[in-house]
Amino acid sequence: MRYSFCIYCVAFVAITLWSSGVLAHGVDANTERFLLATEGVAIGPFLYIGAKHMLTGYDHLLFLVGVIFFLYRARDVLLYVSLFTLGHSLTLLLGVLNSVSVNPYLIDAIIGLSIVYKGFDNIGGFNRLLGFQPNTKIAVAIFGLFHGFGLATKLQDFALPTDGLLENLLAFNVGVELGQFVALFFILIVLSFWRRYSSYYSFSTITNTLLMSSGFILFGYQLTGYFTVV
Amino acid sequence: MNKTEHPIQSTKTLLKASFGALVLAVVILVLAVLPAEYGIDPTGIGKKLGLTALAPVEDKVETASLATCESGKEQNDTVEITVPAKSGLEYKFHMQKGAVFVFDWRTNGKALFFDFHGEPQGDTTGYFKSYEEATKSNSAGTQRIPFTGSHGWYWKNESSSAITLVLNTKGEYQVLGRR
Repeated sequence: MRYSFCIYCVAFVAITLWSSGVLAHGVDANTERFLLATEGVAIGPFLYIGAKHMLTGYDHLLFLVGVIFFLYRARDVLLYVSLFTLGHSLTLLLGVLNSVSVNPYLIDAIIGLSIVYKGFDNIGGFNRLLGFQPNTKIAVAIFGLFHGFGLATKLQDFALPTDGLLENLLAFNVGVELGQFVALFFILIVLSFWRRYSSYYSFSTITNTLLMSSGFILFGYQLTGYFTVV
Repeated sequence: MNKTEHPIQSTKTLLKASFGALVLAVVILVLAVLPAEYGIDPTGIGKKLGLTALAPVEDKVETASLATCESGKEQNDTVEITVPAKSGLEYKFHMQKGAVFVFDWRTNGKALFFDFHGEPQGDTTGYFKSYEEATKSNSAGTQRIPFTGSHGWYWKNESSSAITLVLNTKGEYQVLGRR
C-alpha cells in the first residue's frame, strides 16, 4: 500500500511537471506568425489551432479531469462537457465579435481557481461546508464562460483580419471542441481503467487534493504575473 | 460498484486536504515556479537550483538599459538587414514606457510584409501589441512606447529572392537586434 502510494505520487508529479512544459494559454511563435500573416478565411489552420490549444492547455485539461472524476455514465459526461462547451463557446464568440477583452492573467487566475473549486467539490467540501450540494451543472457552465473569455482575450491580441472573422472564429471553436473530445477520450480511458481498482477510491481524496494544489499553483503563478508584468 | 455519488469527507479530512493543497502549492510556487517564470526568488533556492536562469532574459536587460536611460542618452543608429527568401525575421529594441522612438526603413523597392509591435517585459503568455501591420517597401514615423519591453519589427519576405532593407532609428533604447 505504502509502496504503490509512492509510485502514484511520483507519477502524478511527473505528469504535472511534464505538462507544465507546454504553454497554458500562450500561443507559440509559429502560430503567432501565422495569425499575423493570415488574411481571409482559413478554416483548416484555425481548426488546428483550436484543437491544439485545448490539447496543450493543461489548465483546461485539469478542470476536465475534475469534472468527470465522479461521472460514471456516458450520458452524464456528455451532459457536463456540453454545458462547459456551451459556456466557453458563448463567451469566445461574443467576446471576439464585440471586442470584449479582459486581462489574460486575471482570467487565467480565475481558471486556476475553477480547478481548486472542482477538487474541493469532489471531496464533498461544499456539501459539508454549506450543508447542501451547489448545482454542479450551473457551476460547470459558469466556469465555461470564464474559460471562453480567456480564449477570446488571447485571440484578440492578434488583431485578427476582419475579413472572414466569423468563419475563422467558428473554425477555431469547432477545433476547440475536437481537441476537447480527443482529450476526454484519453482521460476517460485512463480513469475507467483505474476505476476498476479499489485504489481509485482510496486515492480519490489525495488525487483531488493534488488537483486543488495544481489549481492554487496556477492561481499564484497568474496573479504574480498580473502584479509584476507591465 | 455502486458508488455513483461522490463521497463527502469529514470536516477534519477536508481541512487537512485544503490546507495540505495550499501549503504544497505555496512551496512549489516559491521554490520553483516564481524563480523560473519571473526571476522572483525570496529563498535563494531557485538560484541554487539554476531555475532563475529560465526567467525571461529581458529582466536582466532592464537593469542594463536602466543605466543608459537614466543618463538620458539618445541614440542614433543605422543598420542593414537582409531578409532571406521565403522567410521572416525579427529585429528588436528594448525600450522603457513613454520613450519616443523615431524610425525610418526602406528596401530597394521590393515590398515586405511587416508587423511593427511590442511585447511587455517578462510576459510569457505570447501577448503583444501591434503598432502597424502592412505589406510595403518602406515605412517611417514616430512611436510613443506604451509599455516597457521589447519593440520592433517582424518582416516576412514572400518572394523567392533575398530583400535587404536599411533601418534608421533614433531614441532612448537598447538594441536587442535580430531574434
